[in-house]
Amino acid sequence: MIFNSTTFIIFFFVFFVLYWFVFSRSLKIQNLILLVGSYVFYAWADWRFLAFLVGVSALNYILGLKIEKQEKISTKKILLYIGVLQGIGGLAFFKYFNFFVASFNDVSQKLGLSLNFHTLNLIIPLGISFFTFRTVSYLLDVDKGKIEATKNWVVFFNYVSFFPSILSGPIDKARDLVPQLEINRKFEYDQATDGMRQILWGLFKKIVIADSCAVYANIIFDNSAVCSGSTLVVGAFFFTIQAYADFSGYSDMAIGIARLLGINISKNFDFPFFSQNIAEFWRKWHISFTSWLTEYVFTPLCITFRDYGKFGIIISIIINFTICGIWHGPNWTYILFGFLHGCFFIPLIIKGTLNKRRKIARGSTLPSIKEFINVLMTFTLIMFSFVLFRANNVEQALNYYSEILSNSLFQIPVYPSRFDSIIVLFITALFFLVEWIGRENHYAIATIFKNNSIARWMFYYILVISILVKFGKVQDFIYAQF
Amino acid sequence: MIFMQRNEILEQINTIFIDILDNEDLVILENTTANDVDEWDSLTHIQLVVAVERHFKIRFSSKEIQSWTNVGKMVDSIFSKL
Repeated sequence: MIFNSTTFIIFFFVFFVLYWFVFSRSLKIQNLILLVGSYVFYAWADWRFLAFLVGVSALNYILGLKIEKQEKISTKKILLYIGVLQGIGGLAFFKYFNFFVASFNDVSQKLGLSLNFHTLNLIIPLGISFFTFRTVSYLLDVDKGKIEATKNWVVFFNYVSFFPSILSGPIDKARDLVPQLEINRKFEYDQATDGMRQILWGLFKKIVIADSCAVYANIIFDNSAVCSGSTLVVGAFFFTIQAYADFSGYSDMAIGIARLLGINISKNFDFPFFSQNIAEFWRKWHISFTSWLTEYVFTPLCITFRDYGKFGIIISIIINFTICGIWHGPNWTYILFGFLHGCFFIPLIIKGTLNKRRKIARGSTLPSIKEFINVLMTFTLIMFSFVLFRANNVEQALNYYSEILSNSLFQIPVYPSRFDSIIVLFITALFFLVEWIGRENHYAIATIFKNNSIARWMFYYILVISILVKFGKVQDFIYAQF
Repeated sequence: MIFMQRNEILEQINTIFIDILDNEDLVILENTTANDVDEWDSLTHIQLVVAVERHFKIRFSSKEIQSWTNVGKMVDSIFSKL
């Protein structure tokens, strides 16, 4: 059940009425109905893994309580390892088992060995990458004493399976989500309208921008072998915009839906394409995931390698980003994508500017020329790395790059419906203009035409009409596969 | 006496923070957290740890460092090792 489907709209309408108007008197019952709603949502997508989700929730709930109570350090460690191994092991088994086997077979064949292990016919539980990160961070935080173990099982099960964010994030930490599930929630009109506005903006991003760009990105990537270098640059551009509008659009919808339920979940994007270097980009792209990695992978690695100075930071960041790549799926393209982004940080670490924060266009409407060049260069770097992200395999990506670097880069781009794509580019330019104007807000249109209700409503109608025009030609969410 | 010692540790940590975070006006208290100081992030955190370890000639464990929730917890760790 994806957010931009009629099924979800019906489901959410029924759920909303039950949640706020039928079962809202007692927190216990409201949390129970939230859990039932989350399980219906999850089972609708694939009921076979509901038992797995419940089992994982139960195991981590019990482990959290045991870890907290246990005074013997060695037993505490064993309990923590069981939880972390279950999470990471489950993820590795479902997502990567076949990849490891196939890679092992390839290597053994190249070495002249006749080893041939069988792969399994596995179906990946939906959202496993997202709810696993929730349970693992929960146990690590309980172990370190950063949070108390959750005593109420309904609250904990809701934390693991909260339906607005179970399939594609944001990945909330227990310290942010659990306290909100433990207190009475009251329907607040302003919070609900803000949620609706964010859902509208998310729908626009997904249906109008992402799905329109996807048409051209798909055509060009699917025929990359016969395209000129210049056409391939256009393809990479369309895919980069698609990836952003698709995933940030989904996140906006998830955040908006949660706000309609009186719950604030993490911000996931902070206008990443206005970043002035790669470090800033990763502070603003898929924030809930990168902050998770920073806290549970990068920081512990940096602490371990702290005696090696900048070299220790470089090693930590490369490992961190390679894991980031692997997380996206069992394909060498993702692993290389992560590794490459880790390498992009090296000049910043050597120069000592990794964490220098330079707010763009501070106190002015337009960026300075230097800022604009920085933004353009960062975007170009990201765009070219996204070729790896979108390519079916490394070979296709390498051919893609080599054609871009050939003389055909200077030819006029040729692809079907070229003139229609100019309209898409025009709408995309307007979209980024709105993003630029609203970049100081939580999301771009949070305060748009705040003091002019006629202009504001006209703007909403334009969004609604453009969504309705495009609705029905829906493409899948890119991040739903992760 | 204990209070004085903690206070002294806090003063010395403050000097280290000013140096590493490059912020002359910084005044840290026991309840100061990373959220209260703009320049204090995951990376400068490691630089602070290394500087504190060198200054006091002590060594923290990885788990100890990650369990700090505010400056006071860091002072606790230093205090227990001196």
